Amino acid sequence: MTGLDLLTPSGLMVAMLPELVVTLAAVIVLLINAWRHQTAADSRFAGMVSLAGLVAALAVLGALWRGGAAPLGAPNMIALDGYRFGAQLLILGASIGTVLLSLDYLERESLIAPEYYSLLLMATSGMMFLAGAEDLIVLFLGLEVMSVPVYVLAAFNRKSAVSAEAGLKYFLVGALASAFLLYGIALTYGATGSTALTVVGQRIAAQGIGTMSGLGLALMLIGLGFKVASVPFHMWAPDVYDGAPTPVTAYMATGVKAAGFLALVRVLMVGFGSAVDTWQPIIGVLAAASMILGNLVALAQRSIKRMLAYSSVAHAGYLLAAVWSGSQAGASATMLYLAAYVLTTLATFGILAVLGRGGERDVTLDSIAGLAQRRPAIAAALTICMFSLLGFPGTFGFIGKWAILSSITAEHHQFLAVVLVLTSLVSAGYYLPVIRSLYMRPPLNAEIHDGVILPGAARLTVALGVILLLVLGILPRLAIDRADSGARSFAGTALDRAAQARR
Amino acid sequence: MLLGPSLVLSAILFSIGVVGVMIRRNAIVLFMCVELMLNAVNLSFVALSTAHGFGGQVMVFFVMTVAAAEAAVGLAIILAIFRHTKSVDLKNINLLQG
Repeated sequence: MTGLDLLTPSGLMVAMLPELVVTLAAVIVLLINAWRHQTAADSRFAGMVSLAGLVAALAVLGALWRGGAAPLGAPNMIALDGYRFGAQLLILGASIGTVLLSLDYLERESLIAPEYYSLLLMATSGMMFLAGAEDLIVLFLGLEVMSVPVYVLAAFNRKSAVSAEAGLKYFLVGALASAFLLYGIALTYGATGSTALTVVGQRIAAQGIGTMSGLGLALMLIGLGFKVASVPFHMWAPDVYDGAPTPVTAYMATGVKAAGFLALVRVLMVGFGSAVDTWQPIIGVLAAASMILGNLVALAQRSIKRMLAYSSVAHAGYLLAAVWSGSQAGASATMLYLAAYVLTTLATFGILAVLGRGGERDVTLDSIAGLAQRRPAIAAALTICMFSLLGFPGTFGFIGKWAILSSITAEHHQFLAVVLVLTSLVSAGYYLPVIRSLYMRPPLNAEIHDGVILPGAARLTVALGVILLLVLGILPRLAIDRADSGARSFAGTALDRAAQARR
Repeated sequence: MLLGPSLVLSAILFSIGVVGVMIRRNAIVLFMCVELMLNAVNLSFVALSTAHGFGGQVMVFFVMTVAAAEAAVGLAIILAIFRHTKSVDLKNINLLQG
């Protein structure tokens, strides 16, 4: 099944099979919830069914990928290439990790409402549509199918005023972002007469970028900028990350950010590739501002959860720097860095979830002091995560940062590369104190770490994440080859031709 | 044709929505401003489809559906906030800071 005709219903169905499996699983979990929604066992059962659905989607995705599925004729609505498959692998991985982290967390915080899992699955299918969208209508619908369930998930802890506040802030900002994105789509449609990204790309290459399509691109960048939390559209991120239940925070930091960035890469490469000179300066400014502001403000945070929120703004800056380079290498680096970031963030939030109670707002550098004496394995895992976020050699995070740097310097550009290296150095100022606190400071009192035990499913996620970080840090070829072959999907786009011409 | 004036009207409505989100502090009013923005975009789509065919009108149906889903979720979240703080004014909703 190498070739699929996307213009026939059956071809389109096969191409969308991973999304369809996840959607079906969401509906099945919702039906199960209608009958069984009272006890902790019901909640766990719903979690297990969603896990099975996600693994089935992963299997279907693997079959499509290995079969080398590619469109036979014209592209239609949804992309069918290596970049989409890689994107969906990341998204499914983030969702599976989130489900595993949630299983015990929901019971501990007595959030017994199994609707949680069907919301999670619906958001996952939205992310998959968003990351694979080949048409601006699918892009918008994917974004909304992703966002609306995540608004609910952020406000999921109904007993907590903080969670409700996080939900409200995320909802208001998210709805505003959707409106900007939609206006951008309308103007792009007005300028080019089509919403299909390939047609948009051809028309813009033919007629150049005008006022209307330029404005459309700018508004779409604002909309997606809000979703991925880049400066100056980041102000919601610390509050929402802080207030939402910790597994949901992990999901927002991994899944939502990955889907947003992968959609951004596709829109810029396929739709606006020939206008690279127009968007490169904008993306460059956003990237530098996110790296500088995110890292500097993170230095001043007391709560570890807020510190990670600002660090995620900084990581959005690194990723934007990869997008800036506007080449196949840049697309590959975006994918690679996202993979490292997803693994590290899932493991970090998994550990954070067991360190605290009641939303983990109280986990500070003081409260984790001396953890290494009581729980050496957890402390070691958190240390590896911090090193990976920092981009220390030997971890997967280093490989990601190295790929971004080489994609920037390949464009004969120094400024963003210098900012990236310097701000990474600054970030040591808040990652390393976590490690120092774990190993070199006495605990506040003798009993403080007694209850810190990773439950089975969360232990699996954290262990898998940390092992993959180390293995891929030492054998990066496994991941680099995948990302590169995904990025080759963009060969022959207008952007790729522009990059060749610059050499 | 009325394409030009319709696009200008849609841009004005959208701007009113943006300004409203910036200066008002009541969650319900903010939400209404976002709805105004979405419907301004709908006007653009309908106007543009006179030039480009039916694609724009189809989009309007999707946008209306999405706006309804957003309204359901958004009002539920505002209700949840009201249960905790007895207010929907954003200046009273400030537990998360720092």
